[in-house]
Amino acid sequence: MAHSTSLRSRRAAVALALASGLVLAACSSPAGSDSPSEGEAVEPATITFAASTFGDPGLGPRLQGLIDTYNSSQDVVTIEPAAVPFPTFGQTVLTQMGGGEGPDLVRFDMPEFTSAADAGLLEPLDDLIDADELGLQPGPDEYMTVNDSRYGVIFDTSNYVMYYNTDLIPEPPTTFDEFMATAKATTQGDVYGLAFRQTQAEENGVWQDIFNYVYGFGGEWSDGEKLTLNNPKNVEGLEAYQSLYDANVIPKGADAATFRKMFAQGKVGMELNNGGYLVATRGTNPDLKFSVAPIPFPVRAQGAIMAPIVINANSEHKDAAMDFINWVLEEENQVALQEALGASSVATKTERTEEQLAETPFLPVYDELTNSSAPQIVVGFGPQTADIRKIVVTQVIAALQGQQTMKEAMDKAQDEAEQLVG
Amino acid sequence: MSAEQAGAGVALRRRRRSPLGSRWTPYIFLLPAAAYIFLFQAIPLVQEIYLSFTRTNLLNPTRSVWVGLENYEKIFASAGFQQTLLTTLGYVIACVVGAVGSGLGVALLLNGRFPGRGIARALVTVPWAAPGIATALIATWMLNAQYGIITRVLRAIGVDVGESGILDNPDLALVAILATTIWQLFPFVAVVLLSALQSVPAELTEAAEMDGANRWWSFRVVTWQVIKPTVGLVALLMTIWSLRRFELIWLMTRGGPLGTTRTLVIDLYSQAFDSKQLGNAAAIGMVGIVIALIVVVGSSLVSRAAERGA
Repeated sequence: MAHSTSLRSRRAAVALALASGLVLAACSSPAGSDSPSEGEAVEPATITFAASTFGDPGLGPRLQGLIDTYNSSQDVVTIEPAAVPFPTFGQTVLTQMGGGEGPDLVRFDMPEFTSAADAGLLEPLDDLIDADELGLQPGPDEYMTVNDSRYGVIFDTSNYVMYYNTDLIPEPPTTFDEFMATAKATTQGDVYGLAFRQTQAEENGVWQDIFNYVYGFGGEWSDGEKLTLNNPKNVEGLEAYQSLYDANVIPKGADAATFRKMFAQGKVGMELNNGGYLVATRGTNPDLKFSVAPIPFPVRAQGAIMAPIVINANSEHKDAAMDFINWVLEEENQVALQEALGASSVATKTERTEEQLAETPFLPVYDELTNSSAPQIVVGFGPQTADIRKIVVTQVIAALQGQQTMKEAMDKAQDEAEQLVG
Repeated sequence: MSAEQAGAGVALRRRRRSPLGSRWTPYIFLLPAAAYIFLFQAIPLVQEIYLSFTRTNLLNPTRSVWVGLENYEKIFASAGFQQTLLTTLGYVIACVVGAVGSGLGVALLLNGRFPGRGIARALVTVPWAAPGIATALIATWMLNAQYGIITRVLRAIGVDVGESGILDNPDLALVAILATTIWQLFPFVAVVLLSALQSVPAELTEAAEMDGANRWWSFRVVTWQVIKPTVGLVALLMTIWSLRRFELIWLMTRGGPLGTTRTLVIDLYSQAFDSKQLGNAAAIGMVGIVIALIVVVGSSLVSRAAERGA
């Protein structure tokens, strides 16, 4: 199998092909656009890899370093990173792919991944990835299958945790009641105990935030086949979210950019956020004293930004793209990727280095949540997640503004969403 | 042969020498513009009309299914779309009235004589020169619920803008967007109407004043009659631009809160790129085109009637 072929033998095969001059001939043959297959030499190619994280000031240079390592490790495949900004990443890349073009490799977020897979825009990887042999972490890996086919491998998973300012909150809360009490006690003057998104302009952010309350109180958006938006557990979780809003412990109306700046300035005590926030917060204020803990809700289940790496079905160099995926999944490169990513996890379980743990002792908190995290999609309705999200967020905000109860909001959302999905 | 006959002969020879030139020259000059319109307007328009009768996913645009009027039936049956139409109508009317009214007022002021008039005329164009995206982001910051200067000033003078701020208040969000839009639009109106005001013959206004007309009457019977066609044209432009305005609304509220700032173009974008339903988006686009056509044809009919009346 391609992924199990050792690096040395793979390169030997490539060198042999080059020496015999077969590669040049193969380059111009239609076979160049065939699916990647096991045991065959990789054809020379320059391919593009699109990821919004390449443009991240903290992560971008580190990921570029990883790409440079791959490029210098062999002279057959060259990866060119394509940094598409996060806010328009999905639209840009999906539109390109829908038009028969697009990058060869893509690091998608889950909603776009499920949409692309459902639309047949991704190359199936069933015969090329053996999860057991590779030791892929089962929690995130189960979401790589769409319509009974595997279309991706986890590139990184960023679990949601509770960030807290240790100057303001020496001991983190461990239950929701303590969470509420801590938020109230910390809110004084221009300091708020907590911050979360609650405006329509940040629809996607509100969805990410309420996801933790719904799943943390034992709810779920669907059972995989039917929508369960008005499930009593969902309503309970959202009422908990509303109770914090009503308790005036958050800077109401503040967008994420504002309240994250406030957190970095020590003016917000707690925030639920993913692993990517660690690097950003340190970048904003290196002197801030903070730590993380699991979200203190009744059920240990939280959202995660899961980002699979996929091969564009339109790619003319699928074998080259697969070669990179195989390379990334090698143990030493998983360790390097995890180091580059900071608090995020990778496809396989890897050990943190002593240097990393010395710098960030709470890194294991993130890693231990990987198998209880869920991607922020409506399972079974991945391609419709954006529409369902809009319905749910609109109704939840109407409840926050006192126009209806949360139960009424979710009943309406259930009706509207059922009409949508048919 | 007389000189006259000789002249006629030369002219005939010239015509004979370039028979195509005289006949086809206008078409040759028109060709680039016609080709541009055909390629970049007619073909996309025909494609949009076709798309509006199909079920087409953004991710599989080549696999369209013909569904006839289904997209139109669906959008007109939706309560959300009816609210979108009403919001669009309200937004466009308020933009036109606000921008033309304030632009005319500023133009009249700038048409007077006062020290620093040149500087004032230059300064007034600044909002129009500012990029729309920058305007939207600055306005959003000024309206920020925590730090926004406008929010703070309003709260300081006792105006209740709600805890979540102006842009997340269903009663105030559209007002805030309108104020920002008008702030950006009025300089264009002011500059255009200022040039129209400068073409009003001074002797006419002087004659009216000598006949005892006050300033309002003089404006009504002299100035207004001269600038009326320009005002009509500017109002038409404002209407079309307001129907099409996207970036300012999208950046400030994304159509929220609770759909209160959701106009046709926001709905169209959302259908095309969030829901990935190109067919629905094209149907919404066609509704927008029909509204724009009604406005343009209506405006043209009103102008002609006015010309005949005059």
